Amino acid sequence: MTLLGTLALWLAFLLGVWGALAGFMGGLATPPRPDLARSARHAVFAMCGALLVAVVSLEWALFQHDFNVEYVAAYTSRNLPIFYTWSALYAGQKGSLLFWATVLSVFGSLALALTSRRHRHLLPHVAGVVSVVAAFFISVMLFGHANPFQRLPYTPLDGSGLNPQLQNPGMVFHPPMLYLGYISITIPFAFALAALLSKRLDADWLVAIRKWTLLSWLFLSIGICLGMWWAYVELGWGGYWAWDPVENASLLPWLTMTAFLHSVMIQEKRGMLKKWNLALIIGSWLLSIFGTFITRSGVISSVHSFTQSSVGYFFLAFLIVAGVSSFALYATRLPLLEAEARLESMVSREASFLFNNLLFIGIAFSVLWGTLFPILSELVQGTKVTVGPPFFNQVNIPLGLALLGLTGIGPLIAWRRASLPNLQRQFAVPVTVGVFTGLVLLVAGIRDFYALMAMALGGFVMGTVVQEFARGTGARHRQYGEGYALALGRLLARNRRRYGGYIVHTGIVILFVAFAGMAFKTETEATLKPGESASIRSPYGWTYRLTHLGISQYDALNRQVTAATLDVTRDGTPLGVLTTEKRQHVDALGRPTFQPSTEVGIRSDLREDLYVVLGGVVNGTEQAVFRFTINPLVWWVWYGGMIVALGGLIVMWPGGSPAVKRAQAGYAVRLVEEK
Amino acid sequence: MFELVAGILLATGAVYFVLRPILYPEVEGRGTGNEGRGDEGEDPEDDLSPRAVALRALKEIEFDRATGKLSDADYDVLKTRYTSEALAALRAEGPGSGMRDAGSVVPDATAHPASRIPHLACPAHGPRPEPDAAFCSECGCRLAAAPGYCARCGSALEHEARYCHACGTRVAA
Amino acid sequence: MMRPRNDGATECGRREFFGFAAAGLLSVVPSFRRFVPVQDTLPSTGPSGRLWDPARAGRPLDPVVAADNDAAIQAIEKQLHCTCGCNLDVYTCRTTDFTCGVSPEMHRQVIALAERGMTGQQIVDQFVHAHGLTILMAPPKRGFNLAGYFTPAVVIVVAAAALTLVLRRWARAASGVPAAPPAASNVTAAPEELERLRRELDQLPT
Repeated sequence: MTLLGTLALWLAFLLGVWGALAGFMGGLATPPRPDLARSARHAVFAMCGALLVAVVSLEWALFQHDFNVEYVAAYTSRNLPIFYTWSALYAGQKGSLLFWATVLSVFGSLALALTSRRHRHLLPHVAGVVSVVAAFFISVMLFGHANPFQRLPYTPLDGSGLNPQLQNPGMVFHPPMLYLGYISITIPFAFALAALLSKRLDADWLVAIRKWTLLSWLFLSIGICLGMWWAYVELGWGGYWAWDPVENASLLPWLTMTAFLHSVMIQEKRGMLKKWNLALIIGSWLLSIFGTFITRSGVISSVHSFTQSSVGYFFLAFLIVAGVSSFALYATRLPLLEAEARLESMVSREASFLFNNLLFIGIAFSVLWGTLFPILSELVQGTKVTVGPPFFNQVNIPLGLALLGLTGIGPLIAWRRASLPNLQRQFAVPVTVGVFTGLVLLVAGIRDFYALMAMALGGFVMGTVVQEFARGTGARHRQYGEGYALALGRLLARNRRRYGGYIVHTGIVILFVAFAGMAFKTETEATLKPGESASIRSPYGWTYRLTHLGISQYDALNRQVTAATLDVTRDGTPLGVLTTEKRQHVDALGRPTFQPSTEVGIRSDLREDLYVVLGGVVNGTEQAVFRFTINPLVWWVWYGGMIVALGGLIVMWPGGSPAVKRAQAGYAVRLVEEK
Repeated sequence: MFELVAGILLATGAVYFVLRPILYPEVEGRGTGNEGRGDEGEDPEDDLSPRAVALRALKEIEFDRATGKLSDADYDVLKTRYTSEALAALRAEGPGSGMRDAGSVVPDATAHPASRIPHLACPAHGPRPEPDAAFCSECGCRLAAAPGYCARCGSALEHEARYCHACGTRVAA
Repeated sequence: MMRPRNDGATECGRREFFGFAAAGLLSVVPSFRRFVPVQDTLPSTGPSGRLWDPARAGRPLDPVVAADNDAAIQAIEKQLHCTCGCNLDVYTCRTTDFTCGVSPEMHRQVIALAERGMTGQQIVDQFVHAHGLTILMAPPKRGFNLAGYFTPAVVIVVAAAALTLVLRRWARAASGVPAAPPAASNVTAAPEELERLRRELDQLPT
């Protein structure tokens, strides 16, 4: 099927080129050329079809174990479980490029098909932008020696198999989610460019892209969380975030999109910040391409890097060309984006949102700065330096805490204007909660300044969120006489963006508390013979005792397992048995592939994780080296991520139907004359 | 061989599909209707016309005051400003254009020019021509607040009702 | 239900089984196993069976010594960048999956230097002297690197100042507009207009 796949790629590439030409010409021509516009639209659909054919061809080759295909031989083997054979589609550089282009064309088709008629004037340009970006990705495959359908001059007996670290359920879901996030940013970007090109710079484009931005924000959030989970359970270093350049690259567009999702409200309500919001969208997209560039170029060393290849230069060139041309277009349209900027008061939600934007962009800048600083340093002072977690923590923890504080402050300030006595009333409860939380933790013996601050601020933000829900429910209860439960439900259902946003804030607080918990990580190494035990003291005060029960070796589907079993007690109470493994993966002929990998044993509860790694054995006997780690509050990360995703879904949920709206009449707004 | 044929067929189909709008514009032109979904069922918050924005702002001001976020003084200032904005937006749109899906009966403003003496108005049928009307002559709603009638929509209340069964307004104690 | 597993007797049986299995295997096919003649249990330390194929368990390791868990040593290693290409610090690399050969070597160097009586800073300096600045996880705070540390903060502070000024101007622009004196009765509108406004408001979802 490789011939068909290659043909489909070429077809998709030509369709992309045609779609771009027809789209831009159709959109810009005077008099308008609806035929060209429709042709561009059809080109995107056809490109999507062609790319899907290519994906099917590649999957076909993967499942047929056609090891004459270089990609199949490099990333799968006969004994690879089916699930991972499927996910090998995006395990390597070439396949993931195909995956990128395909998902982009699917998103583009959906955007073209689902966008409401009101925004139709933007669609030819949207088709054009999507075509250009997709055609670029396909061209990298075709001209950058990255064709996944490349054949070998010989046929190996078996493939090399998939990297064991990628053989994890987290890895099946994490990259696609992250890709979905990265790729779907192209749609808001395409709408933004369409608005700039068509000079229709009223509020319309904003409506067209808001939901797409939310969608990619949601995918990106889920993707980042899944990535943390994968790193935690699979990489075995006992953490989930290491400020790796690629992690940073996924965080950057997330930060700018979060900033956009806040500042877009100001534009909706006040008509201000048009330039800023457009710049944020363009910037987010460029950052997503930048992330792709970092992952694929090997310019900056990272655990994630695909093998170094010339592909990086394609991305660098594309990044520069796209950045220069979109900001040049933006610059020519600036006079059209003038808006009357008025602010009723310095103390208002608008002002607090602007400072929130400042912090988001500030954090994004410092992360980008830290990621690029090694290159900068080499240019300026001639020495390459390493910029690792200590740097990022030092710079970003204070900024993150300030942002957390603003998360609590912002919602307490009314839109448009606020005055002092009122603010006192608003802040009383949350500040009390925050201070109380801090004092309790201080008394409980927590002395780590940042952890204490994070938890106290978390208390403050939760105070804000609960107060907002409580006062909103109370107001509904008083005004419409709804019962409290109904009032709460309707409050959420009818102000999904506001209260869904508060739910996201709750998730963020939980995440911050979880990050703070990592300050109390404890670990120890021990060599144990069967029957011997080691103890480790938890920050909660109890002691775990781990007794080595012995090591067994057995064969599994595609690996030879060495499993060490440990009996766990906590202060004498038996908790169960933990197993940690070394896995030597083998191909179908029994030949070892890759280095032995580690399978971590984890015992979780809400308070802490007991994390056990089998390091190896001494002298070839059952005497084994273990590392025991206690990671407090790790599950809070996963729960926090789920709550963020839930809140995002609530915010995104489509609006009510007209029928519902009519049924809701009955809100007495007092008019001026009735005072 | 099969692959080559399949590829050629695929390419031919795609080229035809893409070029059809240009080759046969008149045939394609009729299909305009299915380009993009209609906007029925759209989120009301997607309406960013000045009127909708001002109306939402009024609503939000009301809510922020109810939750205690806005002080009374700020409330008055904002209320005045946004009421004028909303009125300006309504005037600019001219009579008759309600919410997209409102379908409400809008009184003919020219028929009843504004006068110094406020005419009592029926919520459904607008101001009454009779200067001293107590009930609407078209639907029978009570026009001014009176015991036993809803203060807002004028419907007759049920005995000891706490809420109006017609509009849901709470009955003042 | 878990108690029996902790029970000494069953434990022993299991281990003996292991021992016998390994011994039996070795006696039957001695030519297949290329290891030097092995004891099933190490002298004086109780039972510790030989693995069937130790090569599957990864790199052979030495028993953990006290220095491995020494907080001071770990603190030093967390400042040093492992040169194996993993992008981690020495401590994290050597304890992550125990496959790297570079970080244990660096670890031994650190211990050796510490045993010579060097302080943490001296050890780090020694490594910098040998490998260059890249060996540090974060650049030292001097010279151009200060720009690395402080540029984000400076940029944010400057931007915050600029933002405050802009907000001031916007706020002044708003107060300059005479449109809304606070008197409530200033809205001039015909009652029917107010009525229409009210109806529109009623139609908004609450």
